[in-house]
Amino acid sequence: MNTISRDTIASSGNTAAGCGNPGLSMQERQEIEQFLYKEARLADESRYSEWESLVDDDMYYWIPRGEGDFDLKRHVSITADNRNRLANRIKQLNTGLRHAQVPPSPMRRMLSNIEVCREQPDQYQVGCNFVLYELRAQSTNHLEIWPGRMEYRIRRKSDGELKMFFKKVMLVHGDTPLSSLAFIL
Amino acid sequence: MESCPHSPQSPVVASGIDYAALVQKDRVHGSLYTSEEVFRDEMERIFYRGWVFVGHESEIPSAGDYLSRSIGLEPVIMVRNRQGRVNVFSNRCMHRGNKLCSRAKGSARAFTCDYHGWTFSLDGELVGVPYPKGFQKDKSDFNLNRPARVETYRGFVFATFNPDAITLDEHLGHAKPLIDRAVDLSPEGGLDLSAGWVKQRYCANWKMLPENDTDGYHANFVHSSFLRVFRSQYDAILGDEDARQSRVVDFGLGHAAIEPSYMYRKPFEWLGVSEDRVADYTACMVSSYGEEAARKMLIDGPPHAVIFPNLFLGEMNIVMFQPISAGEAVQWHTPMLLKGAPDSFNTRIIRQSEAALGPSAFLLADDAVISERQQLALQGHSEWMEISRGLDREVTRDGVTISHISDETTNRGFWSHYRKVMEQA
Repeated sequence: MNTISRDTIASSGNTAAGCGNPGLSMQERQEIEQFLYKEARLADESRYSEWESLVDDDMYYWIPRGEGDFDLKRHVSITADNRNRLANRIKQLNTGLRHAQVPPSPMRRMLSNIEVCREQPDQYQVGCNFVLYELRAQSTNHLEIWPGRMEYRIRRKSDGELKMFFKKVMLVHGDTPLSSLAFIL
Repeated sequence: MESCPHSPQSPVVASGIDYAALVQKDRVHGSLYTSEEVFRDEMERIFYRGWVFVGHESEIPSAGDYLSRSIGLEPVIMVRNRQGRVNVFSNRCMHRGNKLCSRAKGSARAFTCDYHGWTFSLDGELVGVPYPKGFQKDKSDFNLNRPARVETYRGFVFATFNPDAITLDEHLGHAKPLIDRAVDLSPEGGLDLSAGWVKQRYCANWKMLPENDTDGYHANFVHSSFLRVFRSQYDAILGDEDARQSRVVDFGLGHAAIEPSYMYRKPFEWLGVSEDRVADYTACMVSSYGEEAARKMLIDGPPHAVIFPNLFLGEMNIVMFQPISAGEAVQWHTPMLLKGAPDSFNTRIIRQSEAALGPSAFLLADDAVISERQQLALQGHSEWMEISRGLDREVTRDGVTISHISDETTNRGFWSHYRKVMEQA
């Protein structure tokens, strides 16, 4: 809880929609998109440690129960990881004994409707839609579909690299019964 | 969102299955998890004729507040009427069977069916029929179907459709103090279940949920990845059988618990925090209950107990089991927020809840997958499931049986009550 301010969460609603983006260059937009696609590919391929290298020290990874008006202080989420808890999540996956992901689910996701908003010279808010197909290889072998919306906050570090420090995943079916979700959305 | 694999549904008739043969003292037959006929019998004998947990009063604080739930497969509405009493009705219009209420929760002055406009009061009475001249029957014969009895204990609402059921008090039996132990962690003696519910789907039989939730034997194996990464209050990390002080308890009537408090020496070991981090909550407890009583409550912590058939007091969570079919169930959980506790303490409970329970949690995600693998393995030629562990060392006194944390005493308690209920054809 101590790694994210109320402001960060409050300002994360409907990211990028309606942002005029004065001066956002095509190159910046392309860079952000490449970042998102890389992040998606590493998550799809369960390359947890490489995925973690895209994450900044004040990261908050949040999966509320859908798109509603949820408050971290008053409502239970599906996932609400500060940086420390996220690190432990990845350590647990890396033990190779996390049964819910042994073997890891084969997965592929599509990102689309990407909107980028520059909120400070080196900081961006990004929103997009996604659909993830997951094969539940460790139990029922069913193909599970996870549709929803992602919201990111991304900054450029002093070395020029992009890192994300906030990721919110709003599942279309977040308030209905969900199967085990031990991978990274 | 594919649903789980279903066997074909059989009609609602008593099956004639010989439950005494399938449920033995030291083993139970695998077909009890896979047969849709067994499932139908369970819906009738356990969920329709027995007491079932429906919801908590704090979920519907004001007159007109309602929520949709189910009792077995029966969709129900739980609503607070104008006088403040909690009512439970079948969620089904008495005219043509339309689902009256399709929202998960809300607030209403009355329930009006979207099909032909029949209107029911918050007490379930049919109060309005559009074009009344054409309907000759007595409206009072069309009040909403309702459980024969609805009773509340410390905010927990239970219902049964059986007019001849034992009282709720008798049903709770030795498990009643477990509810007290949970609720008394509130400085005001009341729970606030307002944080919402996370629902986890299991492609597995519902009975695997209460079984696994009171199984003290699996932690070292199912949760080995958790134990390697996280500091844990559980003593599973101690490999040696004799070193483990936690116990399992069978309270009778299908109620059973894991009792880790045998190993706790100081307050909040169950929460995994030191006392100074939660001093403001401790102060509230001391002012409500006095120094000595508060200290004992804060050392023992909350119960970890299943109340037959569908309520689990899961430490700082309230959990319920929803059967869907022989091969599918849903586990619901909500953080057990405490009235009168500091907001920061309740937020801590929410964060702990996300770590332990739900589809992405560090514990339950793995439990669910193991249950699903059990279900898959039982699809073929079902064999016997072994539950004899600890039969020679458990100790029974005054109707309560206690044994080593790794013993299947809790599972035997569940199944012996199950057999008794299921034999009442």
